[in-house]
Amino acid sequence: MSSIQLQDIRKSYPNGPQILHGVSLDIRPGEFVVIVGPSGCGKSTLLRLIAGLDRCEEGRIEIGGKLANDLAPQDRDIAMIFQNYALYPHMSVRDNIAFGLELRGVPKTERNERAREVAKTLQLDAYLDRKPAALSGGQRQRVAMGRAMARNASIFLMDEPLSNLDNALRITMRTEIKELHRQLGATIVYVTHDQTEALSLADRVAVMKDGHLLQFDRPDVIYDQPRNRFVASFLGTPPINFVDAEALPCWQGPKGLTAGLRPDMLTVHGENPGGALPARIILSEMTGSEMLLHCETPAGRLTVTAARRDMPSGTDGLWISYDLDRALYFDSQTGDRIDLESHERKHARHG
Amino acid sequence: MKRDNPFLVGLAAIAGLLFLSPVLYSIWISFQTADAYYTGGTAFTLDNYGRAIGQYDFARYLLNSLFVSGMVTLLGISFATMAAYAFARFSFRGGNLLFGATIATLMIPSHISLIPNYLSLAKVGLLDTYAGLILPAISNGFAAFFLRQYIRGIPKSLDEAAYMDGARPLTVLWRIIVPLSRPAIASMALYIFMTEWNSYIWPLVAVGDKDLYTLQVGLARLYRINPGEGLVDWPLVMAASTITILPVLLGFLLVERHLVRGITMGAVK
Ligand SMILES: Nc1ncnc2c1ncn2[C@@H]1O[C@H](COP(=O)(O)OP(=O)(O)OP(=O)(O)O)[C@@H](O)[C@H]1O
Ligand SMILES: [Mg+2]
Repeated sequence: MSSIQLQDIRKSYPNGPQILHGVSLDIRPGEFVVIVGPSGCGKSTLLRLIAGLDRCEEGRIEIGGKLANDLAPQDRDIAMIFQNYALYPHMSVRDNIAFGLELRGVPKTERNERAREVAKTLQLDAYLDRKPAALSGGQRQRVAMGRAMARNASIFLMDEPLSNLDNALRITMRTEIKELHRQLGATIVYVTHDQTEALSLADRVAVMKDGHLLQFDRPDVIYDQPRNRFVASFLGTPPINFVDAEALPCWQGPKGLTAGLRPDMLTVHGENPGGALPARIILSEMTGSEMLLHCETPAGRLTVTAARRDMPSGTDGLWISYDLDRALYFDSQTGDRIDLESHERKHARHG
Repeated sequence: MKRDNPFLVGLAAIAGLLFLSPVLYSIWISFQTADAYYTGGTAFTLDNYGRAIGQYDFARYLLNSLFVSGMVTLLGISFATMAAYAFARFSFRGGNLLFGATIATLMIPSHISLIPNYLSLAKVGLLDTYAGLILPAISNGFAAFFLRQYIRGIPKSLDEAAYMDGARPLTVLWRIIVPLSRPAIASMALYIFMTEWNSYIWPLVAVGDKDLYTLQVGLARLYRINPGEGLVDWPLVMAASTITILPVLLGFLLVERHLVRGITMGAVK
């Protein structure tokens, strides 16, 4: 269990554009931090810097309170799961898992026993003697996971460790990771594209874009009070709807705002309850107990969820009402979220 | 798997026999008496081998050759592998210059270095020693270059995974790079061994003491020892030649699988 402090990290590859533009993160000991962001925004690069596999030109990296910029990867007590697995092709699954223990001088019987245990939790026990080439993608991914789990490192870096697993296995593994975190109390930095994973695993979520850290906070804060439009659009399924606030019939607030309406802030009706938007269904998707409706309205496209039994029957035409108290508001120019009351208060004073 | 075309197999067999025939012929002659050879008869004898090994010291030459070629191979492949790993994985000051110099050695005919090598070994007193036979041959630019290319084909993330597992660079070399380069290393080891085994000029120049003769030098001397009224004792020479090629043949059979894999690796990947 170690803290990780990143201060104003900048990184560019030789003869390439700058990848990270001053990222600062303060990760507490034992914390589970999930990094999300679009492909190519620098998540893996950031992990490699923490691991010590790459060096940054500028900024401070502290691990466990000690300056680590010049520390070799072997001396950082970090276990890492690589995005491309990086299994040793000439070693059996058992040896892949036990290699790190062997290098630490753990006796053979002991490390093989440990490898067997780890393989069991990962449902890999049948494959211990196989070489990686004879495994499926998901099995390889689990071996990569096992290689990190076998060691009691104080920090785990996981680069999309579950991306190749089927749904059931992914849920099992998610529990397993959570359990691992609870048992070891280790600090975990976890990269994923899957927002369910992000929101369910993380103590805190870091949202990145184009080499900038946009927001770093608890999952509920990120979800309820996203710093800007990008963060709001990145988390939440189905994704949030953005409409010009003035296009909403009951809008009375200031100009120049965009309203962010998550699908659960919208309700469908068969008849206009007053102030609702008329809508025409373009596409409806069954998602189980709920329907996902893509509608065309005077304010633009909206995605709404509705319980199947509540669906008004018969027509394509319906009405959508919206919850203005729960809606998020963004400056249409800058995309920053605006706390409406304080904004209005400011207006009042100036007016 | 596709069934082999019998016509092609036959063709390959004929070609193989053609290549093999001089070797088979010389082995055949090595079992004839000199009289029979020169009178056109056939008379089986083992006497040629007896004389080559006993009277002409070929047992000693064989051991010398095995020792010298073995040491050159062992040291040469070790240095080549380490150099290749360094060139493939680390960037260090002067690295490109050193690599350029390594490539440049491939373009220098070996005979040009004969006299400088002779003079420097004479200066440190290593002429007429095993070290004098071995040391000049242990740096092999081609092997270093070939292995560097091969190692560059191994994903660097394997090194990185090993670093995360706690390995140091030498552990990575020994536990990751070497096992994964085995076919290439075997090919290069065989290549170095054969080059050294067949080397003639340097052992001839560097060694005057008969006890240090290698097979090639000893073989060449047989012609001079045996002028017998203008005649060469061909059965004796062929017996000595057979002793000379036998270990190489055996060695080749041992590592042949690796060799073929190493040479075709470009196609496999
Ligand atoms: N070795 C390298 N040399 C030059 N550019 C690189 C190198 N590695 C990564 N990059 C660039 O750095 C940027 C960030 O890459 P990175 O791998 O960190 O993205 P990522 O956020 O992990 O993306 P993904 O979600 O697709 O894995 C990309 O634009 C990539 O092209
Ligand atoms: Mg990545």
